[in-house]
Amino acid sequence: MIKIENLSKNFGSLSVLKDISVEIKEGEVISIIGPSGSGKSTLLRCINLLDRPTGGTISIKGVNILDPRTDVAKVRQKMNMVFQAFNLFAHLSVIDNLALAPMKLLGKNREDAERKAHELLKLIGLAEKYNSYPDELSGGQKQRVAIARCLAMDPEIILFDEPTSALDPTMISEVLSVIRRLAKEGLTMLIVTHEMDFAKDVSSRVLYLDEGNIYEQGTPQELFGNPQKEKTKAFIKRQQSFYQQVSSPDYDLYSLIAEVESFCNRHMVNLKSRQDIILLIEEMLQLYRQSSLSFPLDMTVNYGEKTEMLELLFEAPPGSLNPLQLKGEDNAPGLSIIANLLQNHEYNSSESRNRLSLYLKKPQ
Amino acid sequence: MIIQTVKEASVLVVSVSGRMDAVTAPEYEKKFEELISNGGNDFVIDLGQLEYISSAGLRALLSTSRRIKDNKGSIHLANIIGNVKEVFDMSGFGSIFPVHGSVDEALKIITG
Repeated sequence: MIKIENLSKNFGSLSVLKDISVEIKEGEVISIIGPSGSGKSTLLRCINLLDRPTGGTISIKGVNILDPRTDVAKVRQKMNMVFQAFNLFAHLSVIDNLALAPMKLLGKNREDAERKAHELLKLIGLAEKYNSYPDELSGGQKQRVAIARCLAMDPEIILFDEPTSALDPTMISEVLSVIRRLAKEGLTMLIVTHEMDFAKDVSSRVLYLDEGNIYEQGTPQELFGNPQKEKTKAFIKRQQSFYQQVSSPDYDLYSLIAEVESFCNRHMVNLKSRQDIILLIEEMLQLYRQSSLSFPLDMTVNYGEKTEMLELLFEAPPGSLNPLQLKGEDNAPGLSIIANLLQNHEYNSSESRNRLSLYLKKPQ
Repeated sequence: MIIQTVKEASVLVVSVSGRMDAVTAPEYEKKFEELISNGGNDFVIDLGQLEYISSAGLRALLSTSRRIKDNKGSIHLANIIGNVKEVFDMSGFGSIFPVHGSVDEALKIITG
């Protein structure tokens, strides 16, 4: 249905899309996720030719839409787009917003266009609003009308560019439920979204974009359940990180604790987990400081806002020991406290770094 | 960390508040050296106002306890609550010391 090969898009010296290749089959529902600025919306705008790609090819049903001889208006009739900001005509009633394009572009008469518009308004649950003006509708209702307007053109492909990001949380679900319903009807859809639960639920495939490339893709089960790459993992867990290098055994414990507390405050880490991570940091540093080979020591606190999991990661120079293997009466209380705080841990020793990941138990 | 001492008959009640960690544990040990040198023999350590303790604090408690026992004295802990209790439980230190629910309870045991 859609075949994209080596697509790139530059804005001046800024390379927004680098080398995108993907094939989308008829009836697929593709969610495009990724951090802000990763090129998600630009990819949709390139597919719809709202932005002209710098390089590569895009074919829709075998037609190269970047070929200057291609009739762009005809391509756009097969493919319609729903925007963040609704883009309804404020001076037209709901029914006229829906009927206008089919009359102008598809040559339908008013009666047919309005009949279809009424059907679509029923589909989106806004049948009684046909005579209202956009200003009289809530954000969620406006977006549902924008979707209906899109459907009025009988598109084969719908592109959704963050359809819920301009909505209050209370209105998001009404829009998502309309999109879910369309997904079940077999329309080919590409959806740029920040709603991870929705993407997981509605998509046949998820593309994770990062820095202008498809960094990872897979079924929702694969991408959300078992992401393979670091950036995808961090994004899915909505991971926040705090990094500090501990340069010597004479570190400033209180300054370090203050930084970690501030990080925990910023990300609303619950009180018990905060107390536990601070205790864990002190206990671990007490063990590490027994060998000067452990320094400089890189310490990272990772917090998954989605999972509410806290990870404490230490990366020590090669030659340093695994502190959890230390013996001796003095170390016993610390090791016992650490063992009680942790859900699990992983230690990897390599030629360049010794890496110890400690995962804190979630509070009961 | 703030350490305050009150004498109840022959027993010194030492109240510790704030944090007992790698930074403050040496202060605690130093204070006890002073109290023992000044003739202190039987102690109740009131931890009711202690906000935080790490294994460094526990080691300090243990080392002073050994010093006191070497002098044929006694040490009892009172009011171990909240986070501090959790750390005692995690480390198994709760079973090393005689622990009491209140200072009065500890004093009754010591003074018979």
